Amino acid sequence: MSAVVNFPVKPEARPYLDAFGRERGKSEPDWLAGYRKGSLARFAELGFPSRRSEAWRYIDLRPLEQRPMLPATTEPVVVGAPIHKQLAEIGLAGPTYRLVLIDGRFAPELSELQGLPHGVWFGSTSAAIEKRTDFVRPRLEASTPDGVRPFAAVNGAFFADGFVLDIPSGMTIERPVEILHLSCDSNGGSLHTRSLVTAGEGSRASVIESFTGIGQYWRNDVVELQLAAEAQLSRVVLVEEAAEALHFGEMLATLGTASRLFNFALLLGGGTTRHEIAVCCSGERSRCELDGAFLLSGRQESNVLTTVDHQAPGGETREIFKGVATGHAHGAFQGRITVRPGAQKVDAHQLSRNLILGPRAVIDTKPELEIYADDVKCSHGAAVGDLDEAALFYLRTRGIPGEAARRMLIEAFVTEAVELVDSSPTREHLLSRIARRLAILEE
Amino acid sequence: MLEINNLHARLTDGREILRGIDLSIKAGEVYAIMGPNGSGKSTLAAVLAGRDGYEVSEGTVTYLGRDLLSMPADERAREGLFLAFQYPVEIPGVNNMYFLRTAINTQRRHRGEPELDAGQFLRIVRAKLKLLDIGEDLLQRAVNVGFSGGEKKRNEVLQMAMLEPRLAILDETDSGLDIDALKLVARGVNQQRAPDRAIVMITHYQRLLGYVEPDRVHVLQGGRIIESGDKSLAIELERRGYVVEDAA
Repeated sequence: MSAVVNFPVKPEARPYLDAFGRERGKSEPDWLAGYRKGSLARFAELGFPSRRSEAWRYIDLRPLEQRPMLPATTEPVVVGAPIHKQLAEIGLAGPTYRLVLIDGRFAPELSELQGLPHGVWFGSTSAAIEKRTDFVRPRLEASTPDGVRPFAAVNGAFFADGFVLDIPSGMTIERPVEILHLSCDSNGGSLHTRSLVTAGEGSRASVIESFTGIGQYWRNDVVELQLAAEAQLSRVVLVEEAAEALHFGEMLATLGTASRLFNFALLLGGGTTRHEIAVCCSGERSRCELDGAFLLSGRQESNVLTTVDHQAPGGETREIFKGVATGHAHGAFQGRITVRPGAQKVDAHQLSRNLILGPRAVIDTKPELEIYADDVKCSHGAAVGDLDEAALFYLRTRGIPGEAARRMLIEAFVTEAVELVDSSPTREHLLSRIARRLAILEE
Repeated sequence: MLEINNLHARLTDGREILRGIDLSIKAGEVYAIMGPNGSGKSTLAAVLAGRDGYEVSEGTVTYLGRDLLSMPADERAREGLFLAFQYPVEIPGVNNMYFLRTAINTQRRHRGEPELDAGQFLRIVRAKLKLLDIGEDLLQRAVNVGFSGGEKKRNEVLQMAMLEPRLAILDETDSGLDIDALKLVARGVNQQRAPDRAIVMITHYQRLLGYVEPDRVHVLQGGRIIESGDKSLAIELERRGYVVEDAA
């Protein structure tokens, strides 16, 4: 029994219950406190997921189970040279609207929010809770985590901050909207960030969220996207967490009529990374493209999990995911597309292509289609292989040493996915991050 | 430049393809190695270039005074050996220009020469493209991906022209070409004739030899060189055909 809940709690949830409330300095409105308590109660009931559940069978949660990774306590961070350097490296070179979160908290002195188009609201979640309660509260409460999302429940209980982007109807944001998450906490704590993007009718924007850090920490990020009719949103996620960090990213999106979502994830760094996406195509003719790539070495582990739920007719899904694993690394792709009864003329294609380099690397891939409508075009495919020997030999006969030739082919394999990103500065940025990662991939 | 002595090579399944080849290649000369299908022509090219899947059971190959067979394929290339592939390999995702520039600069570094920057590279490659009548768009595509048969062969000759090898081996570079493409390829090869360079053309037919005159012609059959002569031998072969050796 506990002060918060009146039923038996899972043992692994106990330390989190004890820590509840301790991490926040100032008092919060009652509705938010209630929301947090509800989320915590849900987590207390669920505990961490078991590997027996399909959604969690490919990821090793032992680092979390071995010892509690409690929410980091508020401490003012001294922003020194290493932080500036890291931000400069992972950030886009050109002009952006930039919001920086250090250890999961808004850092106004590092952010660049000036000159936003009139009507666009872009700021920290904590500011939005204070200044735009009527906007944030119903959306947060509507997404009260259900049974299968224990980490979203922990997130609801503990999130410290995040970002909110609200784009009015008809608005096009020309500059990329950039969110940089940097963690400097090396005490083995957890960071919970909660964010929200709403794209009004016919609006257009592109968002890039980059994650990096130093030390050992568990990041638990939840983002919700709501696209109104004919909105177009591009979201790129770049994960370059510290080598010992755990990164869980969960994105939930709802797509209105004829809206279009492009989500691209590039997972390069972090001990364990999980990129989970759930898209609900509730509007007719909505389209989603969920693409990405992971590059793993050493003992890195990555798990990509996508679910697309076509509830309305005429929807489209395209997924292309590329995986590369070397050393003892383990990657997994799980993708499910569901087409509900009546969701006719849905066109959905999913492709998972993987390169396994070396005898100890493993990649699991599990594309799934669940179709309950009869007039649809759906396909899925998965391939796992090694580098093309003939291509390697060809490159070597031109004088290119074996190692460089291998890197060229791996780069080419991943580049094919990155080419799907529309914006060329973003694409160039991602390619340069890949090149940097490849230089140390097989060391 | 290249001395081949009693070279025997077999496939990993044990079948012996080369059965004692003796051949001497000198700088400044152009050679034709002719022979019917299955005579061992492409195996010879593959063994010289260092392809996996062949085992040399006997004999030696000396290239510029070094033991060629102990060198990895990429080192052979950096030392100036070039193979134009009979079937050039498609490499999705690798830009042709990036590939070519990487190859050239790798070889230049190896020779202690400064690398070519993008501008210098472009000036040189444009001249060669013109010579071979290749559109500049070919450089912007992935290596050999979606190229026509003729484009692939011309892309091989372009690489040779850019890399300027000491020893170029052209494996059936004439096959599958129409007459116009053949003339362009021949022009590219002729332009590469030089006193310090040897060119070896491996071919089934005499066709290319009408445009690139060889100094020496060798006939390969059953894994051995059975006949040698000057360019008149190629013409004679065209007339009388290859004598098919009894397999038994």
